[in-house]
Amino acid sequence: MDILLMLVWIVILFAVVMLHVAYATYFERKIIGHMQVRLGPMRVGWHGLLQPIADGIKSFFKEDIIPEQADRPTFLAAPIICLVAMLTSLAVLPFAKGWVLADIDIGLLFVFAMSSLASYGVVLAGWASNSKYSFLGGLRSMAQVISYEISMGLSLVGVMLMAGSLNLSAIVEAQGDRFLGMYLLPQCLGFFVFFISMLAETNRVPFDLPEAETELVSGYCTEYSGMRYAIFFMAEYIGMMVMASIATICFLGGWNGPFAVPFFPPLWFVLKVYLFMFVFIWIRATLPRYRYDQLMDLGWKILIPLALANIVLTACLKAIMG
Amino acid sequence: MQIQYKPPRGWLATIFQTEILQGMGLTLKRLFSKPITRQYPEERPQIRTGFRGQHALVRDAETGDCKCIGCMRCAMACPSRCIRIRSHKDKEPGSRRVIDCYRIEALRCVYCGYCEEVCPVNAIVLTEVYEYSRYERASLYFTKEQLLANWDQFVAGLDMPVEQYVNPFWRPRGLPERDLPASKRLPVSPEWSGEQQVVGHKWRQYLPPEQS
Repeated sequence: MDILLMLVWIVILFAVVMLHVAYATYFERKIIGHMQVRLGPMRVGWHGLLQPIADGIKSFFKEDIIPEQADRPTFLAAPIICLVAMLTSLAVLPFAKGWVLADIDIGLLFVFAMSSLASYGVVLAGWASNSKYSFLGGLRSMAQVISYEISMGLSLVGVMLMAGSLNLSAIVEAQGDRFLGMYLLPQCLGFFVFFISMLAETNRVPFDLPEAETELVSGYCTEYSGMRYAIFFMAEYIGMMVMASIATICFLGGWNGPFAVPFFPPLWFVLKVYLFMFVFIWIRATLPRYRYDQLMDLGWKILIPLALANIVLTACLKAIMG
Repeated sequence: MQIQYKPPRGWLATIFQTEILQGMGLTLKRLFSKPITRQYPEERPQIRTGFRGQHALVRDAETGDCKCIGCMRCAMACPSRCIRIRSHKDKEPGSRRVIDCYRIEALRCVYCGYCEEVCPVNAIVLTEVYEYSRYERASLYFTKEQLLANWDQFVAGLDMPVEQYVNPFWRPRGLPERDLPASKRLPVSPEWSGEQQVVGHKWRQYLPPEQS
């Protein structure tokens, strides 16, 4: 019976997240359009509201082309690896008090592990496509993920030190429901590093080198078409949402808000995640892409030392203040 | 020319990345500005004087045929060589040249309007019709009959009498009155000629406020 109930919850979570993914693409197009003084999608439904559904149907029925020289099993597996890894990390996210599928004690580490596993999908896609653009995209993705995984992990060590736990629910509980309890202020350095690594980890502008359209056609997904291409995009948007959730949980106090909401406890959590999604899109509309060496410089020469300094500072303060 | 260098960035500006924040502020401001997109099939652009659209041969009210005299000037002036004319003249003296074939390959046309400017009798015109995309190439290779039909179609949509219609390209700009043949000494709207000419961004001030 427990398993059945769990399955129902999983299906509900999956459906809700997929709906969010679909409409995240819509809002991205709409917001970027308005930021560029355009209108964005306007034709399908009222103000293009049904556009994501039309896109979904289109990509589902499109021809699935597999290049002749591609490494077939790997080529087919790569998007699945991406999507599964990203979806799995949804399991440990606490959306509200007790609203979590798997309340495990290594939650934060689990999310890290899954997000680096997702980059295997990208690397394998680049390798298996047997195309130079895909290959370069895969290589870049690998280098980028390796560099930014470190600074991302280190930036959250401060949070772990302050909360004394890796369990995501425990981290939220440790922050309490007061505004000053949020780790955003004491961990502002950590938040800064985490935020930039988060953009890099999800391959978003200005760190979208793996799929740099201007140089690499479409990077690792050049050879993909139809539904498999759409799966990569789903994975990217779920990744954005997971990262936004982690930022919300670790720095903005998770589901806690100024007052409790009676019927829908995750409201504050969801609003904070939406805020982060908006910032993702906003940054995409503003900034140009980093050059490869600038990306590496930023990662290794600025973010990692900053994150280490943050750890030392937090540990010292914790030791002094008890 | 004076070169404006950017002032050097202070360390505070470097740490807080004020330039990025400025850019973000600009995009946020634009998010709330009114989009300039025109929803085309519902909202139509205002066609201004001197628009060069679909080709047509002016139908002469007296003869019911085209005004062309077969001088070949348009075919010579055409930079993309898309005009093809065949004509013959009967043996008896005083007879006019008869146009056997007048064809324009619209797909090759670059819409420069030289043919209109050079035509001594204002026979050819680039009308203000702009919706004439077709599914097959052959129908965009306009014959004489099609060109005359294009003119009829254009006249049907015109909001003034045909006799008053003057295409501004029929009167080349920059030439004094005396250098023009009699048929090209035409009155052109002030919006087109002289000081009030609408060029570049000036067209915005001619638009009603909701469109500018």
